[in-house]
Amino acid sequence: MKTLRILHMYPNMLDLYGDSGNMEIIAYRLRMRGYACIKDSYTIGDGEKTDFSSYDLIYLGGGADFEQQLLADDLLSCRDKIKAAYDNGTFMLMICGGYQLMGQYYKDSNGEKIPGLGLFDYYTVASTNKRERCIGNIVIESEIGGESYKIIGFENHGGMTDNVSTPFGKVLFGNGNKFGSDTEGYREKNVICTYLHGPLLAKNPKLADHIIGYCLSRQAGEAVSLKALNDELEEKCREVMLGRLLTETDRKR
Amino acid sequence: MFIIYFFIILIGKIISGVLHLLGRNAGNLPGLVLWTLNKNCLKAFKINCPIIAVTGTNGKTSVTNFIAEMFRQKGANIITNPEGNNLDTGITSLLLNHCSLTGKVKADYLILETDESHVPVVYSKLKLETLVVLNFFRDQLDRNGEVETLILKVNKFCETFEGNLILNADDPNVARLGLANPNNPNVKYFTVEKYKYATDTLHEAGEGRFCPRCGTELVYDYYQYSHIGRFACPKCSYGKVSPFAVFTDIDLDKPSVTADGEEYPTADSTIYYMYNLCAVYAAAKLYGMDKEIVKKVFKEFRVNNGRMEKFEYNDSKLMLNLAKNPVGANMTVRMLNECEGEKELLFVLNDNLADGYDVSWIWDINFSVFRDVTRVVTSGRRAYDIAVRIKCSGYDADKIVVRPDLDDAVKELFSTTGRKFAVANYTAVQPTRAALKRFIDGEGGSK
Repeated sequence: MKTLRILHMYPNMLDLYGDSGNMEIIAYRLRMRGYACIKDSYTIGDGEKTDFSSYDLIYLGGGADFEQQLLADDLLSCRDKIKAAYDNGTFMLMICGGYQLMGQYYKDSNGEKIPGLGLFDYYTVASTNKRERCIGNIVIESEIGGESYKIIGFENHGGMTDNVSTPFGKVLFGNGNKFGSDTEGYREKNVICTYLHGPLLAKNPKLADHIIGYCLSRQAGEAVSLKALNDELEEKCREVMLGRLLTETDRKR
Repeated sequence: MFIIYFFIILIGKIISGVLHLLGRNAGNLPGLVLWTLNKNCLKAFKINCPIIAVTGTNGKTSVTNFIAEMFRQKGANIITNPEGNNLDTGITSLLLNHCSLTGKVKADYLILETDESHVPVVYSKLKLETLVVLNFFRDQLDRNGEVETLILKVNKFCETFEGNLILNADDPNVARLGLANPNNPNVKYFTVEKYKYATDTLHEAGEGRFCPRCGTELVYDYYQYSHIGRFACPKCSYGKVSPFAVFTDIDLDKPSVTADGEEYPTADSTIYYMYNLCAVYAAAKLYGMDKEIVKKVFKEFRVNNGRMEKFEYNDSKLMLNLAKNPVGANMTVRMLNECEGEKELLFVLNDNLADGYDVSWIWDINFSVFRDVTRVVTSGRRAYDIAVRIKCSGYDADKIVVRPDLDDAVKELFSTTGRKFAVANYTAVQPTRAALKRFIDGEGGSK
């Protein structure tokens, strides 16, 4: 049985907003197709013994400023190994705090600068006014498997991310990388960094399958096509939310 | 100044009076107007009796109602906000409705449910005698911000507070408030002894895993539910306190608890409920409440109002419980699992302003532990979100029925007989009660 190996970093510190649900969804969609999945949790101090490049997917969720500071040094100590995994094609899924920490730096709402891994050029600065946050439902449009796909989530971030060369998607509703931004997130072939909670994959099964497909294909060395699943509930959920957010009635929210 | 206060009260009374004449709810608006007119409007009230405030993420309404009931039984004249209205504006409106034109509030005790974030605002203006703090969980993060921010707010208030501080010793987020003012001799802790279903590991999403004093990861002997349990910091011994009120021998079957050598039968049996009662008991002990009154209230008093409220329809028994955050919902899942035999679940999820627009908290509910749940009906504005969530926990999608309309959902739920549970979030709970009553009355069953 084919097995996907996932490294979930700092699950006990970065798990705001049901972000751990993303891994539950990946595992569920693998299981429904007869694939197995090993989820390893990385906690502070595991750097020495962890072989980052042996994983198909590395995942970081979002966390509070306090937790991000606690783990910053530990994350930096793993920089070279994480960079090697990324260069090697491991898929990197990074939500909110995870997104920010992959960039140059994150200056938090107390004015404190937390250095990022510097894998990518963007950087993030949060307003020192803790009330200034992008909060609300968000819909972005991105290309998934050669087709345009609407991605629905929820954003809640004080950090404004700048200098993003290749965004994840175009904002149709909500804020994105900054207040009133046109773009959201950061993307490369094996990287998706985004502010979308919800969790991200809950209402976007095609995106979940895109990530699974990438990982399985990379393992196999050839394109693996995935068996379709019954996504009736997800599709109805999308219909309701897209209807509410992209038509007039709810636009003010 | 007195002239200003006089006019504040007068204006408030007029608005409140007009609203009552119009048959409108005066629970919030008069207070809102006064706060807009004058940030010190609370000072217009002359209160000569003790104020007891209850705060925390979950259980505020229940604990406030229980404490109020005890004082009522004692024969005291009390003013309380049994239905919530726990923000600064709500409390102001409440006082307006109970004061004379000179602002005098006549009562023996004020017992006020108070929103966590409004504790500093309200009690910097009104003299507080006792603050009961139940717990801090993640709750509506899009509205309240991170839990930590909220705790810091209350903590700041506690730094200068010298009244009675009744704290849950088993919640690291609450116990830390006891450190805020080292000069306050009136800090009192309550604790509940390990119960039958306590676990060695954390089963449900929790907060506050790190020592607030030194940042070390806390070590737990056991978890009662979520992050509530016996914890201590291995480095600085934070968490070791001598409690003022202790519940022992938690018997879920009778159900009953023991405190200070006395057994108290209780009306309900979840661990969550026992913690609420323990907070009530601590307050009762502090105020020298008669044991017989405590006994009577513990045994007979029910808050209902969608908090573990029971309904019956023909041969079906249903229990409805409010859940506005994962901890509350996990509690109902726990209750459902502790109940033997097959059962069905109705989950009603809204995303109105008062709920928070964000529903991702449902992913922190642990549904994978479902035992003998034969069917799930979902409803509310986000009926499909909760259906997807339950499905991805591994529950058979064919057993999930989505009925966004509440009346349809209730009808669907009662198309079979047997044991039922219902969970509804904040703005969903009253409509759910109404729909249940409509159906049961309409179909000639009995509540």
